Amino acid sequence: MSSRRSRVSEEEINELISKLQSLLPEARRRGGGRASAAKLLKETCNYIRSLNREVDDLSGRLSALMATMDHNSAEAEIIRSLLRQ
Amino acid sequence: MQVPNSFKLALLKQMLLGFQLSAVSSNSMSFHERKNAIKLSADAAMVFARGSTRWTRGLVASLSKNRNNEDLLRGILGKKYERLSLPCCNSWKIPRSRKILKRCLGLCSRRKKATGTQHDVKSSSTLARRLVKKRIQVLKKLLPGGESMEGFSLLDQTLDYAVSLKAQVDVMRRLLKISKASNLNLHLKEEEEEEEEHAQRH
Repeated sequence: MSSRRSRVSEEEINELISKLQSLLPEARRRGGGRASAAKLLKETCNYIRSLNREVDDLSGRLSALMATMDHNSAEAEIIRSLLRQ
Repeated sequence: MQVPNSFKLALLKQMLLGFQLSAVSSNSMSFHERKNAIKLSADAAMVFARGSTRWTRGLVASLSKNRNNEDLLRGILGKKYERLSLPCCNSWKIPRSRKILKRCLGLCSRRKKATGTQHDVKSSSTLARRLVKKRIQVLKKLLPGGESMEGFSLLDQTLDYAVSLKAQVDVMRRLLKISKASNLNLHLKEEEEEEEEHAQRH
């Protein structure tokens, strides 16, 4: 075990790992038990893949919708209502 | 973990700018052309909102590979485009952090005294380590610019990327919802006007 102080502390890494865990959809874990590294990585990859798929799907739906819209008047209205929030 | 509202707002604005620049509302585009323009706008907008970090540079690099994308990328990113296209140096953190990371993930085998007995069954920790290595390779491919990252940087950038992606999805969902409502509203107004006209004539 290295006695030198390292640039990235264990604390930082543990914090990062727990942040990742809380981000993932099935992150609720009762009791202590940290997930295995393999499981964490698998769920992280699945999560990123599903987000990418969703972006792709939403792009398609927006494309279909924009084809039917009268864009000029609609866009102004959209922007107004979105920026209001 | 969430992004600030300013992030989502910047993402939305640049995405709408992208739609304008690529004229998604014109009738001359095919469904797929429009869809690709929308997706590209969304990605460039996400990069703009996040600013400079390793995965955004990686994303710009991969999006730039297609020459057709350059105009839209420049249009959305403006001055940032040049800055994000510069090659970035490797992090110093890599060698040490990888070892600590592995220890925290419970992957390092404890040192044992040599016993002289042969183990012909692989220990579960060896298998775990192999599995983790495999999955890290998968993650590297999923993360833009991930191939050149290791250890702490890889996980840190992964978290950053995932959070930004989620924000991108949220913004697009909201835009879709409001666009639908707005579209419906417009159609209803048109119908109303037509009925009025019809009623006036009779």
